Amino acid sequence: MPEFVERGTLRTMIQACYLAIFAMSWDVLSGRTGYISFGHPFLIGIGAYSTAILSKKFGVPPEYSIPLAIVITMFGGLVVLLPALRIKGSYFALVTLAFMELMYQLVQVIRPDLTGGTRGITGIKSLTRGAEAGYELAVTLMLGVALGLWLLMRTRFGTALWAIGMDEDSVRGSGLSTTRLKTMAFLVSALVAGLGGAYYAHYTGSLAPRALFDIDFLFTIIVAALIGGAGTIIGPMFGAFFLIFLLEWLRPILPGAERYFVYGGVALILYMYQPKGLVAIAQSLRDRVRGDNYDHRA
Amino acid sequence: MTQILIQGMLLSGLYALIAMGFMLIFSIGRTLNLAYGAYLLVGGYVYFWLCQQMGLPQIVGFAGAVTAGVLMGLLKHRLIVKTLNGDHVAIEISTLILAVVLQAGVVLLFGDSSKILLPIVPGVVTVAGAQVTFNILTATLISWAVIIGLYLYISRTHTGRAMQAVSMDAKGAALSGVDPDRINLITWGISGGLGALGGVFFASYTQLYPGMWVAPLIISVAVVIVGGIGSILGTLVVAHIVGFMEVGVSSWSPELRGVFTMILIVAVLVLRPQGLFGREETH
Repeated sequence: MPEFVERGTLRTMIQACYLAIFAMSWDVLSGRTGYISFGHPFLIGIGAYSTAILSKKFGVPPEYSIPLAIVITMFGGLVVLLPALRIKGSYFALVTLAFMELMYQLVQVIRPDLTGGTRGITGIKSLTRGAEAGYELAVTLMLGVALGLWLLMRTRFGTALWAIGMDEDSVRGSGLSTTRLKTMAFLVSALVAGLGGAYYAHYTGSLAPRALFDIDFLFTIIVAALIGGAGTIIGPMFGAFFLIFLLEWLRPILPGAERYFVYGGVALILYMYQPKGLVAIAQSLRDRVRGDNYDHRA
Repeated sequence: MTQILIQGMLLSGLYALIAMGFMLIFSIGRTLNLAYGAYLLVGGYVYFWLCQQMGLPQIVGFAGAVTAGVLMGLLKHRLIVKTLNGDHVAIEISTLILAVVLQAGVVLLFGDSSKILLPIVPGVVTVAGAQVTFNILTATLISWAVIIGLYLYISRTHTGRAMQAVSMDAKGAALSGVDPDRINLITWGISGGLGALGGVFFASYTQLYPGMWVAPLIISVAVVIVGGIGSILGTLVVAHIVGFMEVGVSSWSPELRGVFTMILIVAVLVLRPQGLFGREETH
């Protein structure tokens, strides 16, 4: 693959791979259990900041700082989990949003000597040399996460998460501990977010609070997962590539933030038309072509 | 100290107006309208366009802003909320997308840079050592007038009481002959108008820029969560808690201004999810 495309396209592909990892992380939790997280940048940010601080300020080599960052992110996930055990629905979304804003403000104030304050951190050690190696790393990570999640979702654990999304009380009624299941889902989601965030920090080499703990970033993650198809593995990946390339194609026409006008418009129409995403649209098209009449959505 | 009191009173009045529109929608349909901040954005920019770019009188600017807000509210209800059939998750996500689209639309029309909205009423008065601009004073007075008007409307008129009924129990209201759909539509309209009006004041208090919708949204969320669903009084009291807290904290350490608001949200949600003044939710 790297031999056939330009370097710029390769960078776009890398972006798409990381976005796909973030979207899959969101989807494990929100796409399946129905607990909509508006705070995923919070988790990704913890992962990114942890590895950046460890490797830049304390000289920890990346082979230790990345696993440590993942563990720290999982602890961060537990912090978000605590309120989630008590509250549901819209309130959960709001708490996670509040966590993200809180993190945005705290990162700038507490120990600015470590976090770099408003300006963030630059010069984080790169793991790879050149676009090809970076691309290979990103694709490997994405496929690894996808495979891991796919295997996990095939177990009874995956089924139970689906069931929570449909009717949490029934799951509890059938003797399963929803608390334990939700805790697991959080930890898996935080693990993937921390992994993605940490590698992403080493890829871009710099971090800024407003770029990470930001509604636009959150929006990109959620839209990628939903447009592709929430509750599937292929969906978030597909959505991430679709959106990143859409943004890239719009760049010559609309260079600045105006791109989000078209991008968001497309996303909104697609979402209103088929909330289950492009995967479901593709499926129903295939059925129509083959002449199958039964409805998958039923 | 008096300075904090005066500034706190002024800011809180504005926050109360902003949060009121958000509270109405949340209490009537338990719907989180994440595009609520976009009313403020659009209101501010419409006022700016009419008054400072077209040079029309201020009253036209206000009328234009409020009309735009009401129209947006009505359209949102018809096109998004009704189409999605009250699916909360879908509404939250589509309104979030809509807010980002509107923000990008503003960038497209007015550019990325922030704009200064001229004071609505110029001039400064010094009260007990505190500098009070006539601008924020006017904003607060109008906010209070609107809030009192809204309170009278909801408690005295037939439509207002129907709104209360729908917010308590939509099915029960429908059984007693209230059309919840019509009430919802009216509420979305009112909410949009309130948001747009708040946006003009908020923009004149801070600045006009495409990302200005996030901060008021977060404040509204805080006020409504801490205050509880369906309580105008709760919204008023908590708007003052948040306003005073922000003014107090920023006089002591400006960069921590928003931190305590967030901690308050999280703490209240965990300890008392129905809010300080809200009704206990049965389902």
